[in-house]
Amino acid sequence: MARIIIKKGHNIQISGVPSLDLVNAGQTVSVAYLPEEFRYIKPKLLVNEGDTVKIGTPLFFDKKIPDVKWAALGSGKISAIHYGQRRVIEKIIIVVDKNEEALEHAYYDHQEITNLTNDQVKDQLLNAGMWPLIRQRPFNKIANPRDLPDSIFISCYNSAPLSVDLDVALRNRRSSFQAGITALSKLTEGKVNVVVDENCTSDTFKDLQHAETHLISGPHPAGNVGIQIHNINPLTPRKVIWTVNVQHVVTIGRLFLKGIFDPSLIIAIGGPGVKNPIHLKSRMGASIQSLVTDRLHDVSHRMVSGDVLTGSTVDKDDFIHYYNSAVASIPHSDKRTFLGMLHPGSSKSHYSLTHTYFKFGTSTFPFSTLQNGEERAMLPINTWENVLPMDILPNQLYRAIIANDIEEMEQLGLIECDEEDFALCSFSCPSKIDVGNVIRQGLDMLEAEV
Amino acid sequence: MKFLRKILDNLEPKFLKDGPLEKLFPIYEATDTILFSTSEKTESGPHIRDSVDNKRIMILVVVALLPCYIFGAINIGFQTAQISGTVQSAWENFIIGMGVILPVLAMTFAVGGFWEILFAVVRKHPISEGFLVTCALIPLVMPPTIPLWQVAIATTFGIVIGKEIFGGVGMNIFNPALVARAFIFFAYPSQISGDKVWLHADGVSGATALAVPAAVENGNAVDLLMNITQFNYSWSNMFWGYIPGSIGETNKLLIILGVLFLVFTKIANWRIIAGALIGLLSTATLTNIMAPLSSNTMLTLPPHYHLVMGGFLFGMAFMATEPVTGAHTDKGRWIYGILIGALTVIIRSINPAYPEGTMLAILLMNAFAPLIDYYVVQGKIKRRMARYAAE
Repeated sequence: MARIIIKKGHNIQISGVPSLDLVNAGQTVSVAYLPEEFRYIKPKLLVNEGDTVKIGTPLFFDKKIPDVKWAALGSGKISAIHYGQRRVIEKIIIVVDKNEEALEHAYYDHQEITNLTNDQVKDQLLNAGMWPLIRQRPFNKIANPRDLPDSIFISCYNSAPLSVDLDVALRNRRSSFQAGITALSKLTEGKVNVVVDENCTSDTFKDLQHAETHLISGPHPAGNVGIQIHNINPLTPRKVIWTVNVQHVVTIGRLFLKGIFDPSLIIAIGGPGVKNPIHLKSRMGASIQSLVTDRLHDVSHRMVSGDVLTGSTVDKDDFIHYYNSAVASIPHSDKRTFLGMLHPGSSKSHYSLTHTYFKFGTSTFPFSTLQNGEERAMLPINTWENVLPMDILPNQLYRAIIANDIEEMEQLGLIECDEEDFALCSFSCPSKIDVGNVIRQGLDMLEAEV
Repeated sequence: MKFLRKILDNLEPKFLKDGPLEKLFPIYEATDTILFSTSEKTESGPHIRDSVDNKRIMILVVVALLPCYIFGAINIGFQTAQISGTVQSAWENFIIGMGVILPVLAMTFAVGGFWEILFAVVRKHPISEGFLVTCALIPLVMPPTIPLWQVAIATTFGIVIGKEIFGGVGMNIFNPALVARAFIFFAYPSQISGDKVWLHADGVSGATALAVPAAVENGNAVDLLMNITQFNYSWSNMFWGYIPGSIGETNKLLIILGVLFLVFTKIANWRIIAGALIGLLSTATLTNIMAPLSSNTMLTLPPHYHLVMGGFLFGMAFMATEPVTGAHTDKGRWIYGILIGALTVIIRSINPAYPEGTMLAILLMNAFAPLIDYYVVQGKIKRRMARYAAE
């Protein structure tokens, strides 16, 4: 067990933090997949428009690794399949029946799961179409079932702003969580590393079996699995590490305990544009509409699936993305402060200390989508370095990537990075450079080489 | 302010694509965003951004420089009064001093602004707010008696050769304000060179503090300074700044306050400052120890005198800490700072022809900063490769 203290980083004081209450979301009329959000795959459809599917029916597979299939997130009729340019599958929408049915698979009790083999666990996950829940580092892409990972990491610390409170999300889920961990432990010869927030009081993470528990404390991005891997079992070019979202471990556990794919998910809805930010009982792939109805302030705003640092912009008609468990609303603002650059700005949040700041403690700020400045040449005053708790030189790495210098990118440790770990760099950058995006470009280049 | 906003909004279409003044868009953009904070929105990635931007950072550096301007004005008035033998209030001194500073400042901004806008329009890049800092720094490192045409040439050289030919702010390798100062130093040595000081009174000149020990052999630097009657070159007086010198560099307390402000706001990196202080003090101690071996009087100058003499503190605070031209790695910043401090003493002592060593030390280290970074980065790469190989 390791105890990790992260010093670099920053907790963004954004208003609209979801309260710890948990309520049912409205009945979702439809659920959907957006195959484009899965990196480096070539999806091929297994169903047609108008087909009736159950929860767990495979909808499409990856042409590169045909074993990897995606299970339907709801039972009902496939109402539409949207194609983009060059017939790229953009969206597969299922209109959900009132009485949902699910495909059934084998199920076990806790003891039996302990005795399963690597292949049995693998086959169960692949057949259930739940393999995409497991991702790998480097590249943060769907794991290759043929790999034997060095270890598996589960981050049980949501440090990102407005994310789900894990105490709420995993309450009374201990049995499924343990089953998920036991199953996952079969997939690696190394350890299953469960990294828990030191201040977390939840019983779910206490005395877990078949896993090694680590404690971590510190500001965001301490909860990012990439930061945890970097501090516990750092990547090398020959090493593969798998990661699973904490709520998805429960989903996997239920597959083994009950034999069905249960897509239910606790989703946090928050942000300055939300009237009563709260936790919702909903499901994977739920429509945004079902989550936000009657919950938004009547202002022009942007909906984000995922956290406000790394999430993607979505419409009300869209669906929550596969790996996301948070939805946020950020108001637009057209306010232009006269002589803003000289304004003391006590009402402005800041990572940098360049604005006066009298409200200490827990006060929060209503962020908007304003960029608060124009993009400029890089000003290397260590803002990136101060929010990146990794043994990485972000400034030099950034320059190697925009110079397309693949060799130097590798030497500077790009393989150990993921864009989400650099989101705070972009947030705090005075030159408004989107570092995370450039890191992704570098990873894409590297992935193409490999 | 709505009225101003309206005017700007009405003007905007003229500067947009296919408008009659399309080419001058950078001018509109600069005016617009200096007067009103930008309305640009995030596109993706982090949907929210911190409130800091480059404009804010640059204007805070200017704010940190303002006390130096005010004291500079007071000092000019004070020195003028000293020569004529009159006694004036600080306010009167300030007015006299402002009469000297304002034309220099106006000339710097006019010429600097002209070049900045010209390059922005021709090369189609936004007007960089960095020129605010460059133009605020240039007058502070000029002697009060400098002819305005020299200010114009120096500013031109500093901005064009020091910055724009490399592609503008962020790409330059030398600090533009220092390039301007160095240009004047080498091009017009008779007006600016170190052994004559410049007072705002015609025909009066005297030796600068640094030139005093440099001119004599086999002496004791502190004794020599004490013997000067024309000016008060005691340590405390040099600290408080009532001595002749460039406009902004004489009062050391205000410089220290300014740099503390920049360190607090995390604009200046404390490693460079700590390094420069360590480098200066330790090298000066070393020269003191070696002084008996040589006839060079400069070697006897104690470390704390080095600290308050010449432009060291000003250069360290506002020039060496400039992020773009300094080292970009934390380890590199230590080396960069220490070498600036050490080189300042070495140039001052070993080469008395250039008593003002700070400027040359910083420019030299500007040139070496990429090399320092290269070795720091290579060291890091080597350690990483060793770890990759071991696992």
